[in-house]
Amino acid sequence: MDLPAGTRNFNYSQDMSIFRTGTQKILLVALFVFLLTAPLWFGNYWLTVANLTGIIIISVTGLNLLTGYCGQLSIGHAGFMAVGAYTSAVLTGQFHVPFLIAMVSGGLLAGAIGMIFGIPSLRVKGFYLAIATIAAQFIIIWIIQNWTPVTGGYSGLTVKPASIFGFDFVTPTSKFYLILAVTIIAIFAARNIARTRLGRAFIAIRDNDLAAEVMGINLFRYKLTAFFIGCFYAGVAGSLLAHTNLTVAYDYFPFTDSVLYIGMIIIGGLGTTIGPIFGVLFIQLLSVLVTKLSPALQASLPWLPSGFTTGIAPMLFGLVIVLFLIFEPRGMAHRWQLIKSSYRLWPFSY
Amino acid sequence: MKLKRLPVMMGIIIALLLVLSPLLSACGSKSTTNTTAPPVTTTSGSTTSSTTTISGSTTTGTTTATSSTTTSANLGVLKIGMMTPSTGPVPEKGVPGHDGLIDAIKYVNDELGGVQGHPIQVDWRDSEYNMQKVGTIVQDFINSGDILFTTHSSSEMKAAQAVANQQGFPGVVVFGSTMNLHPPYPASHIYSPTPDYGDDWVALAKYYKEHIYKGTGTPKIALHLLSGTVGQGTKDAADAMASSIGVQVVDIENHAITTTSEITSLTNIKAKNPDVLIISSTPAPTAVILRNAKDLGMTPGLTVMSTSAGFTAAVVDLTKDDPSVANGLYGVSHTVTWDDTVTGINKAKEYCQKYHPSDYGNMDYLGTWTTCLIIHQALIDAVKNAGYDTLAKGGANAWKAVEMQGIQKLTGYDAQGLQGGIISYTAGDNRLDDYLRIYQIQNSKITPIASWQEAPLIKYSVYGEK
Repeated sequence: MDLPAGTRNFNYSQDMSIFRTGTQKILLVALFVFLLTAPLWFGNYWLTVANLTGIIIISVTGLNLLTGYCGQLSIGHAGFMAVGAYTSAVLTGQFHVPFLIAMVSGGLLAGAIGMIFGIPSLRVKGFYLAIATIAAQFIIIWIIQNWTPVTGGYSGLTVKPASIFGFDFVTPTSKFYLILAVTIIAIFAARNIARTRLGRAFIAIRDNDLAAEVMGINLFRYKLTAFFIGCFYAGVAGSLLAHTNLTVAYDYFPFTDSVLYIGMIIIGGLGTTIGPIFGVLFIQLLSVLVTKLSPALQASLPWLPSGFTTGIAPMLFGLVIVLFLIFEPRGMAHRWQLIKSSYRLWPFSY
Repeated sequence: MKLKRLPVMMGIIIALLLVLSPLLSACGSKSTTNTTAPPVTTTSGSTTSSTTTISGSTTTGTTTATSSTTTSANLGVLKIGMMTPSTGPVPEKGVPGHDGLIDAIKYVNDELGGVQGHPIQVDWRDSEYNMQKVGTIVQDFINSGDILFTTHSSSEMKAAQAVANQQGFPGVVVFGSTMNLHPPYPASHIYSPTPDYGDDWVALAKYYKEHIYKGTGTPKIALHLLSGTVGQGTKDAADAMASSIGVQVVDIENHAITTTSEITSLTNIKAKNPDVLIISSTPAPTAVILRNAKDLGMTPGLTVMSTSAGFTAAVVDLTKDDPSVANGLYGVSHTVTWDDTVTGINKAKEYCQKYHPSDYGNMDYLGTWTTCLIIHQALIDAVKNAGYDTLAKGGANAWKAVEMQGIQKLTGYDAQGLQGGIISYTAGDNRLDDYLRIYQIQNSKITPIASWQEAPLIKYSVYGEK
């Protein structure tokens, strides 16, 4: 980690700490204060947006571990979210399993199914692996649509609110705190996974899998582990989605979302912990902006075909991704890193 | 794979997918630039970007369509939330639906004097047919102080109704399915101005058996269902009512909303040799099925019917290239046709031709137009019974007033003749009108072939009803 000019590590503990300087700790406290008091000034609409954003951050953080760190392209992540959502909905609804156990179970089953679809990763990569994971998306959704006694088929399922020790998370504020807690845990875990032997093995595989294998890294084991972890995150996110929306159906997990999640980690920055947060926030806020602005645009530009301005959102998403690839291919996280570095080097220029 | 190459590769794929999707959607939409609508728009009195106050003759946008010529200009507004899937996979429904609501609210405010003098203000949102987004939009409506909301599709309502029901926020679904309306109030705060897709299936099956079927024994029906609420509503009714009607469902095939070929599924159906094929879908997939059925030689010959979701101008347009594709198609609709001579159709025609001529003949446009009239009447009742101030404050009390003193007080309203029955609320039935009519496409026109018929309430055990 880059340290501010004049700061050095004198022991292992300091070297391993995530928040090393006083400024970082103050900013962390400020962030926590902001997040914990957010319901006071957010309003229910923005809390709902924040809740959905938090859920997507969890899922995309998992995808980032899989794709950004380990280099295994997956375009079926929404399908794995569906596994977690349905598992949790069925366990709580039909078997009266406590929410926390159901959520973890949803993650575990999604992870297990992710490992199955990750098996081809030993033999194929790049476009070919992408196709294999697309298959996961369609197979999972097909099963959900047709396993009616369990999944409710096309009607979906009504889901109980999340409940922990008798407290029901039914208001947007209570849901916000639940999702916030899980999101913080997920990000913290991802940050630490990336620094462990496991994370370093992922990076080695991503950068050159043959070299990694020569160094003694078991590709099969680590690739499947990456799929498990990435899909576990997706399953947990899906569980939260189901229990906050109070309903779950197959069309909550469209293929386009799987594609968009990839876009989010590209915009945010592949292979960084902060990248998924930036990417999700950027896309979500862009979406909200377009949703809010398109009616006004429609009114002020009446000569445009009806509905044209609402189509701006997907065009903007595409444009933004292209612009990021051209001007900042390492994503917003890299830009953030440059800003931090310039601050830390001050008063020196390099 | 090296890190630098991975994002480039993925980015190219995603950029292509995302950039192409709206272009394809735009190609699929029937909308064209409106050259006749006067584009005079003035924005005033609103601090939010999504709310526009329109004076005079303005057509589009999220509106408070207030008239400078009415006496209502200085009175407070009544805010309602409306969403349509104007982009995404079903713009052919969402765009005319949006146009219909804009024009209808303008008509209500300009010519009917709003609600007891209070203009209706619409917070409109494009749902993109994105079910995760629908949840945030409903919360947005609640947060904005809207007193009720509408969705244009049963899928949107399915995604919205859990939150809405939990909070008691009343909703109206323009095209409703069984799971939106069953069980009815008090478990659900969702209403439909018309019968649902289950009722459509029952009406079509009965009509086929009683008026078309010439054979002996039980008529064999094949179903081609859109994956989702539209198809599920039809299947629910088929499961519940097939034996009592005296028909046999020999095959059920499903298709996706983005389907481009149904040759395989239709081949399966052909092998079962049904007497009639009932399609329950939106217009674009219905068109695919009709084309493929002709390619396979199933039509002409096989009787084909469509539920209300797919029976609209987009299907009629198929006859322009090849009249045999859709001519003869039977369908059910909950509103009159554009050629009927009822009071309400004249105004709908006038506004449509003036502001959105490309929607002329579209049943989605007419569906939302009619829904807006019914909402208008419900709000009049609510203001009369509960007072404007109660409604203007928004929140739970306003929602309760709209539902109990407005929607549930509806009685004897004819919706200017645009629907078959009299709009009334009956306890235990959240359909505000239970009449529908069978149509057929004849000479490239949607033509009524039967009188209006009542759709009795069906109890669905699958939704816990007894």
